[in-house]
Amino acid sequence: MSRTWTIKIILIIIFIAIMIQSGVQFYMHRHYQLEHLAGPGVTRVEKLSKYCKGLEGTMADTHVFWLEGKEEGGKMLMIANTHSNEPAALLTALIFLENAVIEKGTLIIIPQFNNSGSRGTRPGDGYPLYFEIPTEWGSKKFRMGNRDATPLEQWPDPDVYIHYPDKQLLSYLDIRNTNRTWPGRPNGALMEKVTFAAMEILRNEKVDLALDVHGAETMFPVTNCIVAPERSVRIATMATLVVKAREGFDNHVEPSPQGFRGLSHREIADFSDSLPFLLEAPIPFLDQPTGPKTEKLLLDGKDPFLLSLSKQQKLFVPYDETGWPMEKRVGQHCSVIQEIANQFSRKNAERAILIKNVPRYADVVTNGVGFYFHDPAKWTKDKIYLN
Amino acid sequence: MELQIGIILAIMVVAYAVAKWKKLSVELSMLVSAVVGGVAGAFIKTPPVNTLARHLIEGSFTYLDVILVFTTATIFMAIVSESGGVNYVVRATIKYFYNLRIIALILLMFIILIPGALTGAGSVSLLVVGAPTALALGYLGIPKKKVAAILFIVAGLSAAAPPVNIWAMILCAGTAIPYVGFELPLGIPVLLLGIFTMLTLGWKKEGTMDKQKALEDMPEVPEKMTWWRVLLPFLVFFGLVIAYRIWPFDMPILGLPLQFVIAALVALLVSPKKINILVLSRDTVKRLLPLLATIAVVGSLQQIMTATGVRGLLSFTVISIPLLLLYISLIFIIPISEGVLTYGAAAILGIPLIWYFDSIGLHATVVIAGLTLLWPLGDGLPPTALIGRLSVMVSDYKDSYWSFLKSTWLPWIVITMVGILMVIYSAKLSFLVRWSM
Repeated sequence: MSRTWTIKIILIIIFIAIMIQSGVQFYMHRHYQLEHLAGPGVTRVEKLSKYCKGLEGTMADTHVFWLEGKEEGGKMLMIANTHSNEPAALLTALIFLENAVIEKGTLIIIPQFNNSGSRGTRPGDGYPLYFEIPTEWGSKKFRMGNRDATPLEQWPDPDVYIHYPDKQLLSYLDIRNTNRTWPGRPNGALMEKVTFAAMEILRNEKVDLALDVHGAETMFPVTNCIVAPERSVRIATMATLVVKAREGFDNHVEPSPQGFRGLSHREIADFSDSLPFLLEAPIPFLDQPTGPKTEKLLLDGKDPFLLSLSKQQKLFVPYDETGWPMEKRVGQHCSVIQEIANQFSRKNAERAILIKNVPRYADVVTNGVGFYFHDPAKWTKDKIYLN
Repeated sequence: MELQIGIILAIMVVAYAVAKWKKLSVELSMLVSAVVGGVAGAFIKTPPVNTLARHLIEGSFTYLDVILVFTTATIFMAIVSESGGVNYVVRATIKYFYNLRIIALILLMFIILIPGALTGAGSVSLLVVGAPTALALGYLGIPKKKVAAILFIVAGLSAAAPPVNIWAMILCAGTAIPYVGFELPLGIPVLLLGIFTMLTLGWKKEGTMDKQKALEDMPEVPEKMTWWRVLLPFLVFFGLVIAYRIWPFDMPILGLPLQFVIAALVALLVSPKKINILVLSRDTVKRLLPLLATIAVVGSLQQIMTATGVRGLLSFTVISIPLLLLYISLIFIIPISEGVLTYGAAAILGIPLIWYFDSIGLHATVVIAGLTLLWPLGDGLPPTALIGRLSVMVSDYKDSYWSFLKSTWLPWIVITMVGILMVIYSAKLSFLVRWSM
């Protein structure tokens, strides 16, 4: 055998070895099942495909948890993991799911709205595959997902994405982005079916409040805020004022742009009677000018480059040596969500939504996020849902 | 941390230089740089060593769609060329427009602009119409070096042209700015710069070949070749692209690769001579392999740079430059970033730049339009040089790559000036956005 062939065979063997090793890692990640512990408030669990048959049997289908109070009242839908690389949303949703008790009204939670996105990675961006939240009983492990659904579920992409129904041209990638495919359609692309199903919940169940929970870069002007269309602005403004006064953290209101289609807050406002809100908490991990994309950066949000840019006044949020830890982000979401429900309930006593037993900002910052997650080993088995 | 990342960057640069010195190809040198950078990073667990293989493999999938488009489009054009269609078109162009030079040049410019404008990829322009256009320009008395230069610049402009500009779309998606109002801020400069390029590089006729001699020199076309046999595959391809624009909610999403495959099948069916598709496909892919390998390796390199923090360091350095210096450095930073990272550059440098410019009162849409005139220039720069290499390939230019690149200097400078001025005076040019909407 010639020297060239020997080298070629060695290279082929090395290539096959790394393909197998990474292939196994991707497979394990895609099929890793996160345990959703249905807490004392959960009264029924459905699949999203109930509201759009086209989702049945696909990786885009996901759990919808209903937390119904003894007393009838208003209804609030909380959507998390619209972007599966913004994990504070998922952690917040799970805190509500495991702990919330509803005294009046109904809370509907979809913890992993873009389930497909949570089962894929983001090529080129070097994310870790998982992250772990420490708890009193060990650590809870989560898949780190992508902003968009994976091409394994929805492919090919068009050369340009034409939004339904406005025909606005958007990036071809955004056809897999469940914050660009609202209001969706039942016979559209898979992610359009996902958002259509959510719209059906809002319309059929006469949901009063629709909350889409996110994270945004510190260099992004629309961060650390509530994005609200015209008719939601009053409640959003009151919520930000109250959390600032009582809990001491900043959170401002951003108007929902009229001319930018496909966003949840825009389309829910235009195609249903619900009041939509999109919650953004800063996530330094997603900023471009950061050090390595590690699990540590994801959790503590500390980065020397961002610190330097903060001193140059190039960030849109206050940033110091303490970074933007996960506790702070999740705590903010917990408080803002409860305050939006409070503000709505004050003005609509008949349709009030009263949520108890969920921590506020200071609690989460003090105790940590993991404090509010329960040990699956000690949980009733038929109240654990794998996703 | 900054020092450690700086050292990893230096190691990657040295690894690339050593690989090139050892006469490895561009794509292998980049792979060496990515692997060495990853190993260097693994010493400080960024990334952990057991994830290194995963990062390399995952990164190589970053531009999988681009690889599929390149492959299917090239096979499509290879069939059209093998059937005699390319020679048929060139012969007709010379026959009817040889003595109407300015009309011939502008017509050829539109032929190059349209596929790229519709798909957002200059490569599609070159792969679909590059070869016949290059031949036509050659018979108009333009030397191959200038033909390659024209193809490179106009194909780049086609990628920036509306309605589909992928850099702008990536930036809009990343900055939450609607992809609207780009028609005039992009359309006007693209048309003016395209005409300028055609006239400066193509106006002067070299050699003494007359029309009759040119026609005699051209390769023969198969006897049964007709206009409909040439046009039908293109009509099918553009028909599919346009049909989705007209009936977006009724048409199934085919994607560019499948659209090219369908057009290729039609070309095969209407070809006046029998074509061995397996042999043709094998030879075409073999010819494309270095380019495809480059695209795959760019993704791996990008992923390793992110996992080690090198990408963040570069992004941070650019954002930290004082404003006046930043305007000047855009002249170099934007094309070079495209040369290294292709479309990844728009996300890595573009997104923070847009947020920064927006925060100091510039008009984001016009800024994006201005910057996206500069990015295509980087497609001629190593290590990737995707469009530059394709331009040289389809125009059959055999001399050194640098001599081709040097011949683009005049349109390069003018495009750069226009792009930078659009950024600086974006607020004053915002009426173009309003008029587009």
